[in-house]
Amino acid sequence: MAGNAQQYTASRTAGNMPPMPAKDDAEATWNFLQLGVQKIMTDLKEGMDMKTYMGLYTAIHNFCTAQKAVGGGAGGFGAANNRGGAHLLGEELYNKLIDYLKNHLAGVRDQSKQHVDEALLTFYIKEWKRYTTAGMYNNHLFRYLNRHWVKREMDEGKKNIYDIYTLHLVRWKEDMFGATHKSVMDSVLRLVEKQRNGETIEHSQVKSIVDSFVSLGLDEGDSTRSTLDVYRQYFEIPFLAATKKYYQEESRSFNAENSVVEYMKKAEARLDEEKERVSLYLLAEITNPLMKTCEEALIKDHSNMLRDEFQVLLDNERQEDLGRMYKLLARIPDGLDPLRTRFEAHVRKAGLAAVEKVAAEGDNLEPKVYVEALLDVHTQYQDLVNKAFNGESEFVRSLDNACREFVNRNKVCKSGSTRSPELLAKYTDTLLKKSSTKMTEEDNMEKQLSQIMTIFKYIEDKDVFQKFYSRNLAKRLVQTTSASDDAETSMISKLKEACGFEYTNKLQRMFQDMQISKDLNTAFKDWQSENLDAADQKNAVDATYNILGTGFWPLNPPTTAFAPPHTIVKTYERFAAFYANKHSGRKLTWLWQLCKGEIRANYIKSQGKMPYTFQVSTFQMAILLLFNDAETVTYEEMEEATKLNKENLDASLGVFLKAKVLNVSPAGAKPEKGTSYTLNYDFKNKKVKVNLNIAVKSEQKQEVEDTHKTIEEDRKLLMQSAIVRIMKSRKKMKHQQLVGETIAQIKSRFSPKVPDIKKCIDILLEKEYLERLEGDELGYLA
Amino acid sequence: MAASTPATQMITLTTNDGVDMTIERQVAERSILIKNLLEDVGETGEAIPIPNVSEPVMRKVIEWCEQHKKDPPASNDDDSDSRKKSTDIDEWDQKFMQVDQEMLFEIILAANYLDIKALLDVGCKTVANMIKGKSPEEIRKTFNIQNDFTPEEEDQIRRENEWAEE
Repeated sequence: MAGNAQQYTASRTAGNMPPMPAKDDAEATWNFLQLGVQKIMTDLKEGMDMKTYMGLYTAIHNFCTAQKAVGGGAGGFGAANNRGGAHLLGEELYNKLIDYLKNHLAGVRDQSKQHVDEALLTFYIKEWKRYTTAGMYNNHLFRYLNRHWVKREMDEGKKNIYDIYTLHLVRWKEDMFGATHKSVMDSVLRLVEKQRNGETIEHSQVKSIVDSFVSLGLDEGDSTRSTLDVYRQYFEIPFLAATKKYYQEESRSFNAENSVVEYMKKAEARLDEEKERVSLYLLAEITNPLMKTCEEALIKDHSNMLRDEFQVLLDNERQEDLGRMYKLLARIPDGLDPLRTRFEAHVRKAGLAAVEKVAAEGDNLEPKVYVEALLDVHTQYQDLVNKAFNGESEFVRSLDNACREFVNRNKVCKSGSTRSPELLAKYTDTLLKKSSTKMTEEDNMEKQLSQIMTIFKYIEDKDVFQKFYSRNLAKRLVQTTSASDDAETSMISKLKEACGFEYTNKLQRMFQDMQISKDLNTAFKDWQSENLDAADQKNAVDATYNILGTGFWPLNPPTTAFAPPHTIVKTYERFAAFYANKHSGRKLTWLWQLCKGEIRANYIKSQGKMPYTFQVSTFQMAILLLFNDAETVTYEEMEEATKLNKENLDASLGVFLKAKVLNVSPAGAKPEKGTSYTLNYDFKNKKVKVNLNIAVKSEQKQEVEDTHKTIEEDRKLLMQSAIVRIMKSRKKMKHQQLVGETIAQIKSRFSPKVPDIKKCIDILLEKEYLERLEGDELGYLA
Repeated sequence: MAASTPATQMITLTTNDGVDMTIERQVAERSILIKNLLEDVGETGEAIPIPNVSEPVMRKVIEWCEQHKKDPPASNDDDSDSRKKSTDIDEWDQKFMQVDQEMLFEIILAANYLDIKALLDVGCKTVANMIKGKSPEEIRKTFNIQNDFTPEEEDQIRRENEWAEE
């Protein structure tokens, strides 16, 4: 019954089409279809009416559903005439379509030969578009074939059977693409070359070619999926090869006529341009290989030339060009390593040269000048690293290496690397000390302290800095010459951050002692006002006391005997009693050499009719007070009364003579036995308060030497304690290993020398902390 | 039956017996054939000839499409196993399929032609349910099939398929 209906239809669809063919006649059906397919292939823009469309679809449907050799099914479904599995029809149509497409494409291929370059591209793209549009159309018209015959064939695993659209692509690839891709690609490449040469081109052409090549990437295993294989082989590879060739040639000829800096600009611009090209009309997938190709031709092939220029740019401080070079060489593998090496050497040389310049000052070198010279170099190259080298960590490391080198080993440090930390500590002291040219601004101080930390970071002998710093801090605290508690605390916390709690422990304890002393003085004053009678209170000398923990302060007991002037004896003994009462069992040692006081000279008046006040050391005070009882005091009498040794007595007297507080007889004599002294009643000074408590140069020098000596001793102790610590945990260890481990532990403080460590091991063996075992091993003795 | 609101796009189908039917485009597009056609040819206002379907069958098909117009669009090759394997049919469809055998087969043929996969499935399932649990004789009777096997052939097939018997 279905058959009847179809025959009826045939006459209705006749329109501009021939009558519907007999459904079981393959030849006739194809002839009918071919007319439609022809129109779709070549003349689709004319449009297609619905009758034709439905006619074509129906013809295919009818052909595929026709029962050949009908076995006389009576009514209903008819009988299945193909026992043992339904046989699906359609193969003939499929093969006819293939023949048709082959034939059609042969024509297109022939036509393409008449075109070259842009005309060829235009032709190819036009044909491709027309063909693929037709393919989609056909895919719909042949959908019944797709759904049944094609599906069955594919399900059964037949090779080379595709859905109708894919079939179109396969045919194009075989019959058109194979013969034309080379000339098409050549045209594309010429077009791109034109653009690289600065001409304007029609991007969309290249883009269309790319898309069409991509479309042809059919997955043999699964026709619903596509791959980039065709595109890679026929587009990407030749494109990259042409790119490489182009830039090799260009850079060769460009370099022959231009400077390296100009070349870098050119390369930079070219790389940007190529990147841009991808987004304009290439596939994003090409970005990486394209950039790599360009980088090779533009940078890698010229990396030696670029690197040679690096030194020149450094010497001329061409920050911008250095940045350009960095960016270029950063793009190729291992491009920057040689730069880092050169950069490091350059910074080291710059550092050494800067130090050399200031080293001419010799021993008189101002710490400030030295530190600033170091800082200048660091600042300059840090700036370069940040701005030109993107702050890249490897360059930072090179900078650090170079700085560490020239900070610790330079002309000033010729005698030993301890000079750097010493000068840095001194510079810190001058910053933190009260001074006439005071920096009032907090952040300025903060900035300078941070700069100190910058240099400090590079110092290898951090223990030396610690020694000098703690001495200077002690002095600032005892002599109350510190500029600001805030600055002091800030500096200590910076050091703590850099080196840990242990490093600053003593410094913090010193601070605490000062605070405790303050409270103690207040308590003492209260105690005095409660417990002293009026007369005692009147005679008491107004005094403050600092109680400094022996272990924490880098201070030594006095080097001379001293008999304090009786005027103050009562006062300080009272305090001693008060303190002993408060903390029984603690022993107070008076550090007379650090004490000072003020005395009023009632015998002379300043211009303002005020008596002068002399700021003096306790030693000086003891000497001057002798003149309360006698007009003339001989050297011997002074020795006898004060018990001071010659060194201290001479120094104190020297200051008085120089300041013309005392007259010596015979006139012009140096302090020595046989001389005698009188007060100078004609003393004149602009200020009412006169500071006579001046440290003598030689004293300072002595101090520095002392400090260095204690450093040596401390180092020995540090090494020994490190060795014992290591051995305690390891119990047994090879000698060589122990030395290595010790160095590793101590490195953060200073760089120990191997012979010194060996010496320390010997000492420990002697003291029986360690024992020698079999072979080269050492054992720990608990 | 096509409740037309001005906003919905209407299209006309012409059945092979010359009857025009105007329905919502959304309803018509349950048929992939019509959907593709409208995409390819464009909306011309022209009636779409449906050469292989007669008016009574078309009415049934459209009834089904109306009912299912809100279903998710059938994907091109939707072979989800669950739908394929189960013979369950939802209630409305069961009722819909309560037609005489000839009409049932016409609906199946039309669904196949018009490319309405879900309707084709429902039709085939209905037939499958008619076969389920029946002996060959009963099946022959149901579908009016002449037994053209020789007794020897039949015996052989029975032996080959013994495993399927209870």
